[in-house]
Amino acid sequence: MAESAIAHDHGVSHGAHASSTGLSNNKMGMWMFLGSECLLFGGLISTYMLYRGRVSSGPQPNNIFDIPFTSVSSFILLMSSLTMVLAVSSAQRKDDRNTNLWLTITALLGATFVGGQVYEFTAFYREGLGFTTSLFGSSFYALTGFHGVHVSVGIIMLMALVGMNRNNRIPGDKAEVVELIGLYWHFVDIIWIIIFTLVYLIPS
Amino acid sequence: MSTVGTMKDRVAEPMKIMRRGRAALKTSLAVSALAFLASCARDAPQDTWQPAGPNAEQIDNLQRPVFYVAGVVGVIVFVAIGWAIWRYRDRGQAIPEQTHGKPVVEIVLTVIPALILLGVAIPTAGTIFKLAKTSDTEMTINVTGQQWWWEYDYPAVGSNEEQYGITAPIVTSGQLVIPENTKVLLRVTSRDVIHSYWIPKLNGKKDSVPGRVHLLRLEGAKPGIYAGQCTEFCGLSHSYMRMEAVVLSRADYDAWVANQLEAYTSPAAGTLAAEGEGVFIQQCSRCHQVNGLLNADGTPIISAPDQYIVSGVAPNLTNLMTRNTFAGASWDLLTPECREDVWKSDSVTFGAKYLKGVTTDCLNQKDLREWLRNAPLKKPMYANPENLAATGGKYRGMPALGLTEDQINSIVAYLLERK
Amino acid sequence: MTIIERPSTEVAIAGAVPVGVKPSEALGVFKRPAASSSWRDWVVTVDHKKLGIMYGVAAFVFFLIGGVEALLIRLQLIAPDGKVLNADQYNQMFTMHATTMVFLFVMPMAAAFANYFVPLQIGARDVAFPRINAFGFWCFLFGGLFLNSSWFLGGGADGGWFMYAPNSSTLFSPSHGVDFWTLGLQITGIASLTGAINLIVTILNMRAPGMKMMRMPIFTWMVLVTQFLLLFAIPVITVALFLLTFQRSFDATFFDVASGADPLLWQHLFWIFGHPEVYILILPSFGIISEVIPVFSKKPLFGYPVVAMSGAAIGFVGWGVWAHHMFASGLGPVSVTVFSMSTMAIAVPTGVKIVNWIMTMWGGKLTFAVPMLFAIGLVTQFTIGGLSGVTHAVAPSDTQQTDTYYIVAHFHYVLFGGAVFGLFAGFYYWWPKMFGRQLSESIGKWNFWLMVIGMNMTFGPMHILGLQGQPRRMFVWTEARAGEGLFNFGFWNRISSIGSFILSIGILLFIINIFYTHKMKKGALASNDPWDARTLEWMTDSPPKEHNFDVIPQINHLDEFFHRKYEQDSATHSVTQVHSADEVMAELNAHPDEHIHMPSRSYWPILLALSLPVIGYGLIYNRMLMAVGVAMVLLTMFGWAMEPATSPDEDFDPPESGDTHAKELVPHG
Repeated sequence: MAESAIAHDHGVSHGAHASSTGLSNNKMGMWMFLGSECLLFGGLISTYMLYRGRVSSGPQPNNIFDIPFTSVSSFILLMSSLTMVLAVSSAQRKDDRNTNLWLTITALLGATFVGGQVYEFTAFYREGLGFTTSLFGSSFYALTGFHGVHVSVGIIMLMALVGMNRNNRIPGDKAEVVELIGLYWHFVDIIWIIIFTLVYLIPS
Repeated sequence: MSTVGTMKDRVAEPMKIMRRGRAALKTSLAVSALAFLASCARDAPQDTWQPAGPNAEQIDNLQRPVFYVAGVVGVIVFVAIGWAIWRYRDRGQAIPEQTHGKPVVEIVLTVIPALILLGVAIPTAGTIFKLAKTSDTEMTINVTGQQWWWEYDYPAVGSNEEQYGITAPIVTSGQLVIPENTKVLLRVTSRDVIHSYWIPKLNGKKDSVPGRVHLLRLEGAKPGIYAGQCTEFCGLSHSYMRMEAVVLSRADYDAWVANQLEAYTSPAAGTLAAEGEGVFIQQCSRCHQVNGLLNADGTPIISAPDQYIVSGVAPNLTNLMTRNTFAGASWDLLTPECREDVWKSDSVTFGAKYLKGVTTDCLNQKDLREWLRNAPLKKPMYANPENLAATGGKYRGMPALGLTEDQINSIVAYLLERK
Repeated sequence: MTIIERPSTEVAIAGAVPVGVKPSEALGVFKRPAASSSWRDWVVTVDHKKLGIMYGVAAFVFFLIGGVEALLIRLQLIAPDGKVLNADQYNQMFTMHATTMVFLFVMPMAAAFANYFVPLQIGARDVAFPRINAFGFWCFLFGGLFLNSSWFLGGGADGGWFMYAPNSSTLFSPSHGVDFWTLGLQITGIASLTGAINLIVTILNMRAPGMKMMRMPIFTWMVLVTQFLLLFAIPVITVALFLLTFQRSFDATFFDVASGADPLLWQHLFWIFGHPEVYILILPSFGIISEVIPVFSKKPLFGYPVVAMSGAAIGFVGWGVWAHHMFASGLGPVSVTVFSMSTMAIAVPTGVKIVNWIMTMWGGKLTFAVPMLFAIGLVTQFTIGGLSGVTHAVAPSDTQQTDTYYIVAHFHYVLFGGAVFGLFAGFYYWWPKMFGRQLSESIGKWNFWLMVIGMNMTFGPMHILGLQGQPRRMFVWTEARAGEGLFNFGFWNRISSIGSFILSIGILLFIINIFYTHKMKKGALASNDPWDARTLEWMTDSPPKEHNFDVIPQINHLDEFFHRKYEQDSATHSVTQVHSADEVMAELNAHPDEHIHMPSRSYWPILLALSLPVIGYGLIYNRMLMAVGVAMVLLTMFGWAMEPATSPDEDFDPPESGDTHAKELVPHG
């Protein structure tokens, strides 16, 4: 979905100059998409909140979470929002070199987070929490897994952006494309703050 | 040729119509009342407009006025549409003024339905809470749905034991037996999928959800048999998941309880029924419990349906012939004539007839034998032994047992004595 | 002469293209497909009008499939202990009937009208994201075909369209039907979601100059509300479907009661989606008749702002009523009361609409062409459905009515008498604009009356059946519970089944009407403005050119087109025609725009959409196939992103080669 948002920049050349609200089609489309995503995560978070205490077998949330570790990886993801802001502002200054630099760093920070999540999932699995172990397991992996997929899609978009930028192949308004990906990235980060608070910090 | 009226006229016109509508109000009230009376006139076992107990009555008292109001509003709307169609059809009149609406009319016509709904809302809230009251419960029965029949379990505790002499748990199925004018609380749950318990003449429905216990109040005002049906889609044989509630006078109810608690008596040796007991132990007792049935070594036979059936239970057949339907209350144990006699009897004679149970003369041999021959043929069930991969080899429902006609004869003779 | 202009390198992709590279080759190695007049053009089109027509055709085919399913159901129930279908087939039939009618007919048919007419009504040349629009259509089509392919692969889903857990788990529904159902709806859900984003952005962002929100045609307003509902409702069902897929395909425990799961989770997720869905189905039809009634009353819509805002109010309150589907589910009395009250509250804005339609007719100059008949049909039939709806907003009486035929009667009055009648009003109203010929009025009248009589015969008796206690979703009903006298099950079931066939003849007449009009060429050629209408879509050709308008009009009024044709004396309020429709158009098009950029055709939407069922089949049958599907998705997304900005040169007018022979645009159809 979000990939198509980049791709769709060809559309800009057709319609951008006639926007009734002043907001470009692409940006408004991205906002709508993110609004819709809120409900997706809302559903998953509700499911988790309903089920997190329901452990018929396998480990309980409290004796499996490694709060310091997850705090660090959350901090890394949070920092990537900062680098994303820097990338957007570089793009707005038409500073290609720094745009690419900050995009790459953002992607690397994101990849570190996803790596941390993979590590965490493996560790949990070893401690006996599988996807099918309990309601807690199913809903925990579904929620954090969906988030992880979102981050991964974001990383792919960032890397694609860097690649296209290097070859000077970003169609349309380059700064806006970077900003759109930035919107998505910030959204995914904010969702993580909510997930981290509800899943890890508030004891069940 | 009419001209377009002034602004004032056009505001006034709907008001005029509404005044005329008020005249139509009385007529339509009478008409709809008549229609509903007619609907109540004949015997319909699941009629939602014929309450036979205080819970259903409360609902009825609430819904009747709502239906009347809805009917009147409907008539007004239809008259208005009809009038507009007739009065404003194109007769060559000039193009009307391009008016975008009159705020006064808008507000009035918004406030009126809002007020009507408010008038409906207040008694609705009151009734919801009245129906949810459970503090004055006099008897408690556990009701469990499974594919595709209902089990009733009368626990031997509290007022059940103290007031109604239920000194040992009574487990039965299909027909729920309750004393008249008694506030019975059903604790409804399920062993597999969601079902819904509904005896329309006694109360609205309540879903039976696995893992949850829902409370439903039933109270019958006079003796009789009240039909019901599972109303939450529960898979293949949803249509064949029926039930009845039987209301008995207090004296008859005591007799019913005493009979249910009576000790098991084996058939007299040498009879066909005694032969049937053997076949039953061999073929049926692994799933169907008959209390008091003994192994050769004198130990009680405990059925283990959880090994064979997904939902883990099969109907308890200890007193099968005290009930007059079987297999999810979908077929009669009584012949049509005997059924008529019991079901259509008045509230005074009903109790005695019901307590007679199923006699030899009255037994509906046809359906019972068809069932014993090949149950899944009669009632669709997941009971093909070759097709149980999804359930790990367990049945959903009763499989065909491949009984011989001799075995069936003996089992029927044996079952006839189960009362 | 309007010219579809080749985008200039400088404007379109500023700075991005190395010197000497044409825009049509700027990015990828794949050229965009050229315009043609063959079927290939339909496959690669991004034109909202062609997509609208394809939405309509596909949805209508699914409508016929769903109709056959309905007829089989009615045949089975015509007498006690029916033998036409067995229990398993019957359960599949009612599940697929509802799923088809809701997801594959009413929703996409509304999408057909929205796609075709929203850009025309707001004076736009296309939607905001034309390729995503095409992608949405193909997702709907392939999702629907995927879902229906289950009939040939072991049977359809058998858990009811509400698919309550735990009856939907593999333990209780071992066939693949439910898998096809979840994945099929997931795919059509993508269509709805992308369509929602697309139409919202189009409506908010691409209105003609001067068209403020409160000057938008009411149909566009209702589409806007509907798309917002979709935007927020679809992700909820997406979550529910994912959970069910994880449960069935990967042994997750979400609905496994033995692990402590709560089956009501599914019900809440489903109905949080499901109730807004009801308004998603009905609001576009409300929009259609809110266009039709003013046109055939020669009056503006009475209380336009109230109708628009009550639509928005319905859209808003519609989120707070979902648990009224669960009054018997065992919620506490407090929740039941709250949801009972909110359900009654939503009746107010709905009632306001009915009042406004009647008031629009009041004092008008009514003509009863077929679109108007269907519109009035909606008002009357929906009123019946709305009033029966109020009776089960009363929660205690709902516990008597829910899951009986009374509910079936209710929602068929609102969905068939409401949504479907509105769509038929739309067919007859907009047909001349879409296809350039008038459907026959006389066949149309038969069509209408047979449908009205048929639907009242079919669904009217269901009120009685339900109140007499006949539950829904039962493959047989029994004489033992049928009652006696006038109100017995037998008589009314028979009436209902006969009615369903009368209804079918009515619908058949619509198909006959199309053949009569087009194949037999009996339909009159349509003028640009056959109904003396009020909105912009009539201010262009029938059918419209690919670029919709030669000139985007400046909007000064609600009902702009009407105001260009008619003038009202401010003192006497008498209305006189000052211009004919053709004069208005001639004046408008005197100086056509010369800088029109139309989006180019693309292969990628259909290819990307085609990869999704591959993943679906893979998930059900073979995980390797699933990997192939995922690879296809990635490749097609890459192709999509790398696609050049514009079509090959020969697609432009005039060709760059300097050929002076001006090239006409490819005509529609």
